[in-house]
Amino acid sequence: MSADSLLSVRGLDAAVEGFQVTEDVDLDVAAGEAVGLVGRNGAGKTTTFRGVMGLADLFAGSVRFKGEELTELRPEVVPMRGIGYQPEDRKLFTGMTVEENFRLPIWSVGDARGLDDEDAIVEEVFDVLDELDDRRDALVENLSGGQAKMVAIGRALALQPDLLILDEPLEGLAPIVVENLKGYIEEINDQGIAVLIAESNVTHVPDIVDQLYVIERGEVVDSGPPDEVVEKPDVQRLMQGSGVE
Amino acid sequence: MVELANFAIHTLNGIQYGFILFLIASGLTIILGILDVLNLAHGELYAVGAYVAFSVFGYVSGAFANPEGFVGLATFLVLSLLAAVVAAAIMVPLGLLLEAVFLRPLYGRDEVYQLVLTFGLLLILKDMNKLIWGPLPVRAGDIYSGINRIPAAEFVGLTFPTFKLVIIAVGAVVVVGLFYFFNRTKLGRIIRATAIDREMATAIGVSTDRVFTLVFAMGAFFAGFAGAMALPQSNASLEMGANPLVLSFVIIVIGGLGSLRGAFVGAMIVGVLSRWAVWQYPPAEIAAPFAIMALILLVKPNGLFGTWGETA
Repeated sequence: MSADSLLSVRGLDAAVEGFQVTEDVDLDVAAGEAVGLVGRNGAGKTTTFRGVMGLADLFAGSVRFKGEELTELRPEVVPMRGIGYQPEDRKLFTGMTVEENFRLPIWSVGDARGLDDEDAIVEEVFDVLDELDDRRDALVENLSGGQAKMVAIGRALALQPDLLILDEPLEGLAPIVVENLKGYIEEINDQGIAVLIAESNVTHVPDIVDQLYVIERGEVVDSGPPDEVVEKPDVQRLMQGSGVE
Repeated sequence: MVELANFAIHTLNGIQYGFILFLIASGLTIILGILDVLNLAHGELYAVGAYVAFSVFGYVSGAFANPEGFVGLATFLVLSLLAAVVAAAIMVPLGLLLEAVFLRPLYGRDEVYQLVLTFGLLLILKDMNKLIWGPLPVRAGDIYSGINRIPAAEFVGLTFPTFKLVIIAVGAVVVVGLFYFFNRTKLGRIIRATAIDREMATAIGVSTDRVFTLVFAMGAFFAGFAGAMALPQSNASLEMGANPLVLSFVIIVIGGLGSLRGAFVGAMIVGVLSRWAVWQYPPAEIAAPFAIMALILLVKPNGLFGTWGETA
């Protein structure tokens, strides 16, 4: 691991409902870096992320963020430290508008993160995700699938995070929407926010990340610069196997 | 004409009763919607509120045994309302204690644990009332006799007790306030977000422990407030919590489990219907709310409004 690592996961054994899913996962994200975590459905991507967020039970391992051990914190403190999280199934706050979904994190962690100008932050989020601008007063349950993913990303972005964790942001979207969202993610990353993206579709991420991890059956089996990793045989197999368009 | 006047009076009675029921059911439904706990002790919180109001107002009214004139009666009325607020406020620390000490260790466990626990709390609170205020009903009529001296309100040819109108007005303020709280304030919307998705709320930095404690204390506040508001028209007794609890279940089932709007509509339906029953065919008073609940469930199995959180 590098000394300037923003997020450093070591030996993570995370569980779902008492059953261990990840095995000894090591993962690093440097400040401002974009990192991909690819693997089939059920490989342990979501569980790894939930472990980082303090939402999964841990049997072993350490998660350090800016040098602080997150596993010793209560889960609601993790976002206060500067990690925004877009879960795989979006989990938008229904019955509320797009804008309310963006404001909620500011209300809950604004003081802890020193976010003073709520309106300015919301406008910044709409600036990045400009497609949502004219949908700001729409109830989130009335959005298209792509827009809903954007709201989930925007909600994480409203924390003004140093690290944005995106769990399959491109999954199940039409190709044109995928390209759109990839553009947004690159734009966010260009602002200096580190991004950690999970995808089961390996073809989506290599061109937008600096580092790529491959996870299979709960274990990281490969990692490195994306152009090297995608050449490796088991990754090739993964790309040709089921679950890949 | 007499029939029409009677109809109006009994409907107003029903609305007044409906507001009392809403105060109780609102707490029950937000606790259910957010904590996922069916609080069987909720009726006892209503009873404790009535007893506490009795003691608080009994203490105050000693100086006001015979209110005279407009100023005296108005003061009496305001004091009785203040006593209700004080009684409700005393319920807040009780609610905080019950949630933090007893309920918190049981979240995530099977619902049966929560039912057994809250039923235990029901028995304990009832015994606590017995220990403090004795086994016999405390007669509230004496200390609130000043209420009866307030001239009845007369409008469009109807005569209606002023205090009941006050209850309707106070209830309306609470309804508007609650909807404002959940739809417009930051804290209210954070609470709704927690109701919709507890885990996601945590992931944006909401302390669900604190939200749960707050919500339970709110529920206790409104249950106690309902008891205190109902007290002048009744006595405080050990059994008084049972009926409101059962009717609150009916109300939140009619309205949709966890729906605040549903609780309001349900409370009005049950309140008005039971007062119409008292007027036309008293034996049906208890049965009528259940009958309408059965009818509504036949048409809308999830109640009139969906689950709470989505639309407060």
